[in-house]
Amino acid sequence: MNSGYHNETCVRSDWEPWLVQHAPRLLLFARQQTRCEADAQDVVQEAVVECWHRRMDNVPPAAGLLFATIRRRAIDLGRSTDRRAGRESVVAGAIPEVWFDEGVEERERSQLIQTAMNQLPENYREVVTLKVWGELTFIEIAEVLAIPANTAASRYRYGLVELRKLTTGIFP
Amino acid sequence: MTDHELEEFERQLRQTKPARLPETFTARLLAAEPEPSAQVVSEPVAPAFPDYLRTLRLSLRWLIPATAMAVAVMMAWHGSLPSARRLPGAGATPATMKADDVKIDQRMVSSFDAVARLPGGEPVRFRCESWVDQITLSDKSRGLVVENSRPRLEVVPVGFETY
Repeated sequence: MNSGYHNETCVRSDWEPWLVQHAPRLLLFARQQTRCEADAQDVVQEAVVECWHRRMDNVPPAAGLLFATIRRRAIDLGRSTDRRAGRESVVAGAIPEVWFDEGVEERERSQLIQTAMNQLPENYREVVTLKVWGELTFIEIAEVLAIPANTAASRYRYGLVELRKLTTGIFP
Repeated sequence: MTDHELEEFERQLRQTKPARLPETFTARLLAAEPEPSAQVVSEPVAPAFPDYLRTLRLSLRWLIPATAMAVAVMMAWHGSLPSARRLPGAGATPATMKADDVKIDQRMVSSFDAVARLPGGEPVRFRCESWVDQITLSDKSRGLVVENSRPRLEVVPVGFETY
């Protein structure tokens, strides 16, 4: 794995910088896997703590393991969503979902990318997210999604082509 | 799209960073930091037994199956020896016995006639003779005498016209 998540040894004081560096991309993936912001945050927190407990030799958890845990927990959560539909609708309305960083000059582009990503088929969207912003290899993506690496690569290519068509306004 | 165009598009996408964590969520994550004791997973675990017991346990782990295997091989090997193929009880009779006197005797114990009728009504007579066959083997050099007796019944049909 060459994603750079675990190439250094962490001690307890590294928790905060590690979170600052990696949690945004985990939350981005979680937002796409869950139905509301509150669920995404819950899933990320549970996955990070779970993987942190299971790490060996003070090495931070591998990126693939983190994304796979987020996906698994999101699926488990989705099965019980109906029972909590009322609470989620209130929370989702209260917290707007913003997937990408919105600087002053990047706000429009970020919103367009988010809109385009939302229009992608889910199997394309998750591969594109894991590759572009998760910085995983196709082999790692294959492990996270439980699909062959070749399938991950082809989905990525098709996803990028579709995303390119949807964003011609900002990427001419 | 060519590969070059794809790579360029991917680079442009990467310029857009994932959104920063909400402050409340950052605070939640920082507060959820696992305890140090829970982080240390691979610390060397103190052995549950002293070193010599541990060595003994490791030795027994291999010694017991090896011993069982050796016993099984020895039993199989012993079973394949010619001496082990002797019939049960053969050891009771000396294999080197040489009989210097053999007696064969036949004695009639009884004789009687029985009369019966065939399905057609014709009478028939049977002569029944009971015999005892006896064989005696003697090995005077070793003082051994082996006797074997066997009863035998002979039934001979006899027609009435022979009388």
